[in-house]
Amino acid sequence: MSSTVTRRAFLKTSTVGGTGLVLAFHLPGRRASLPRRADSPASKPFAPNAWLEIAPDGAVKIWCGKSEMGQGVRTALPMIVAEELSCDWQRVEVLQADLDSKYGEQLTGGSGSVRTSYENLRQAGAAARELMISAAVEKFNVGRRECHAENGRVLHAKSKRELAFAELIGSAAALPAPSDPPLKPPADFRIVGHPTRRTDTKLKITGAAQFGIDTRVPGMLIASVERSPVYGGTPRRFNADEVKSSPHVRAVLEVKSAHLTHQFGETSGPGSRNYTCSGVAVVADSTWAAMQARKLLKVEWNEPPSASETTASLREKMLRLASEPGTVIRSDGDFEKAHAAAARKIEAVYEVPFLAHATMEPVNCTAHVRGDSCELWAPTQIPGAAAESVASALGIPRERVKVHVTFIGGGFGRRLIQDYAVEAALISRDAGAPVQVVWSREDDIRHDFYRPAACHVLQAGLDARGQLISWRHRGSSPSIETFYNGTGISPQAAAQVDSLDFPAPFIPNFRLEFAVAESGMPLGYWRSVDSSGNQFALSSFFDEAAHAAGCDPVEFLLSALGPARKMDLGQNRGTLDVARRRRVIELAAEKSGWGKSLPGGAARGIGIGFGWGSFVAQVAEVSCNPSKGTIHVNRVVCAIDCGLAINPLGVEAQMQSAVNFGLAATLKSAITLEHGRVQQSNFSDYEVLRMNDAPPVIDVYIVLSSDPPGGCGEPGVPPIAPAVGNAIFAATGKRVRRLPIRAGDLRDG
Amino acid sequence: MAISFTLNGKPQTVDVSPDMPLLWVLRDTLNMTGTKFGCGMALCGACTVHINGEATRSCITQVSSVAGKKITTIEGLSVDGSHPVQQAWIEEDVPQCGYCQSGQIMSAVALLAKKANPTDADIDDAMSGNICRCGTYQRIRKAIHKAAALQSGKAKSAA
Repeated sequence: MSSTVTRRAFLKTSTVGGTGLVLAFHLPGRRASLPRRADSPASKPFAPNAWLEIAPDGAVKIWCGKSEMGQGVRTALPMIVAEELSCDWQRVEVLQADLDSKYGEQLTGGSGSVRTSYENLRQAGAAARELMISAAVEKFNVGRRECHAENGRVLHAKSKRELAFAELIGSAAALPAPSDPPLKPPADFRIVGHPTRRTDTKLKITGAAQFGIDTRVPGMLIASVERSPVYGGTPRRFNADEVKSSPHVRAVLEVKSAHLTHQFGETSGPGSRNYTCSGVAVVADSTWAAMQARKLLKVEWNEPPSASETTASLREKMLRLASEPGTVIRSDGDFEKAHAAAARKIEAVYEVPFLAHATMEPVNCTAHVRGDSCELWAPTQIPGAAAESVASALGIPRERVKVHVTFIGGGFGRRLIQDYAVEAALISRDAGAPVQVVWSREDDIRHDFYRPAACHVLQAGLDARGQLISWRHRGSSPSIETFYNGTGISPQAAAQVDSLDFPAPFIPNFRLEFAVAESGMPLGYWRSVDSSGNQFALSSFFDEAAHAAGCDPVEFLLSALGPARKMDLGQNRGTLDVARRRRVIELAAEKSGWGKSLPGGAARGIGIGFGWGSFVAQVAEVSCNPSKGTIHVNRVVCAIDCGLAINPLGVEAQMQSAVNFGLAATLKSAITLEHGRVQQSNFSDYEVLRMNDAPPVIDVYIVLSSDPPGGCGEPGVPPIAPAVGNAIFAATGKRVRRLPIRAGDLRDG
Repeated sequence: MAISFTLNGKPQTVDVSPDMPLLWVLRDTLNMTGTKFGCGMALCGACTVHINGEATRSCITQVSSVAGKKITTIEGLSVDGSHPVQQAWIEEDVPQCGYCQSGQIMSAVALLAKKANPTDADIDDAMSGNICRCGTYQRIRKAIHKAAALQSGKAKSAA
């Protein structure tokens, strides 16, 4: 096992670098050949495509077409370009791409940046490298196959001659770019696959990094917006004149609700509810003046019917729906018959609450509307939808919206929804000035697009040998899909469960059903989306089944998976790789010392999650004091197979990040409703993980793999809640079935 | 109202409302955006600066209260990111989104000024007021220990 795996804490790699030829990619629109000017030194940068540029001094610039929100794309994506270019990584400067069609799809989400960019960025780097080699071959007057590029130079080994890229860019610029350049064999990689420090750290430790909220535009005003306390409400009347007389206040404006384009580009259907929350904006010279004057606002609201919704009423609805037959999402064998014949049966109800994203950088956007054009400075995961939504709200052509993408102080899915860009644009138009909308933390917690609350009723049956023979999962929650796509979509499309989530294809008599629970709450994508809650139910209930069978939970998992193989999913749905699933479970178990006793009543639990092209298993070591209600997560061992790990140091960071993020939801966070209003307001009552809650150790092990790269932002989140819950059961015999885990949950009775 | 203080070693006078929090004076009046707004209630630590050497939440500190005092922000820690804590942050590859890191670093510097060799428990005590949603806590712990080693190395070589 150890030969297939590497511990990723090799911190000694040095990186970070300089400036220089940009090959920007997205191959359409190759440059026309220019007249050849042989030996003249290059006077301008060589820019063979959208992704990269080589300067006359040999420095390299690489553009990042995705948004940097902490996940490390400004390091991992340029590494791919630099690898194929074969340049000196120390001389690479990374720049953020603004919204531009030459960069292709710029959506940053779904753990997809590396997965969707990998081949394209390799091609971009390789095309430039081939041009460097072609230019050198002419100068050396040798055969092409005798030359190769490395570290920013082209070498002819036989004659021991070499030329730096800087000496070649003048000639290279005159050559046609190859359409299908050869790619390096992974065995030759010198950058990709090697632990590499981030390119943006220096900016972030000196205060120099420019986040959206740091945007400063001449003449810029600041807006603070009082929004309807119930989503969908509208202001009936407000004391504009009184507030307008406050010092430094320039305007007090109603901000009307505007429908957002679907964040993934589709047209929202009838019944969709993705609009901006209407409100009243106070526009002032400074943030403080705007916030102070807003305190004087008195707004009477027209409230929608959802103003009667409470956490208790929605819970009752979800419990009822999950106790009745729902839309069938998957059905294998005959659950009823098999379950009736089971030797041992278990049943349980699992519940998770609404969650807010609570990014550290409060929601904000700066807009400057001038006539029929708009310029945005946006911390956005989806600049295309920002342009689309703003154009629609202003009634101007999309091409007239320019979007500058800033650093993002935490995304987690919140910045896929462009309500804040629309707000900024509408207020800028009405105020006649560039405007930065700054949300307070209270605005952020109360007006998010929330991870839906959910309820799961699970039943399982074991035969006399302790094998799982029947499994039924009935889930109910508000639906993100109907929120954005409308009520016309099929019940299957509206479901917030996945027909392939383990143990789906591994139990002969299996049934998965789902029922949408209507809610007035605005909904969104929260790091790992529905898996964040579903996996808590699935991995926890599977652990219950293992204990019911009298079997070790890891053994029980491996036994259910069966031997390593490619499992045919039928109906042209491809295959499922059992080996990769088994390997991360075995690896996490081995590295955590699974089965060995722990001191002081501590115990281990395992959680799994497969998705986004990656496979994760986590073992949590937990100590509990039921009488005090304390829970300490002492150590987490995380095993991931994400295919080829572009930057192992970044993968480690994402796994640690996901564990901590998931632990906040496991132990701390919940959004509750009264009268349709969110009850929480700030970090005092919407608690998140702090240093003293964080596990002292999170050990990450990456499976060495040459499979295509998988996603890393999300797959580490779902396993941690069940890992902790299962460890609590192992330590105390108390089964936790509701998140977040409260002190009282561990007490008897 | 004119209020004078020392900012990153240089005299500074601002003419603002005396109840304006120092955070907004820094960010909006002086355009020094390295200090971050996170919660406005001293709950998250993103706005941490040093006032006469003490780690302080600038979001609830009225500017009138800092008259005559010495303020250090992230921009004043070093001219080039060479402070041992900043160097340790680079070596341990700490920041992710980076938004909270100005505050994390200012808290860590204040901790190390009081305890040259903090234990994990000292770090928990000093740093639990600084929230990081990306979850860089494990690397922050390592970086603080590394910074302590770097500083003690410097002290020894100077002695």
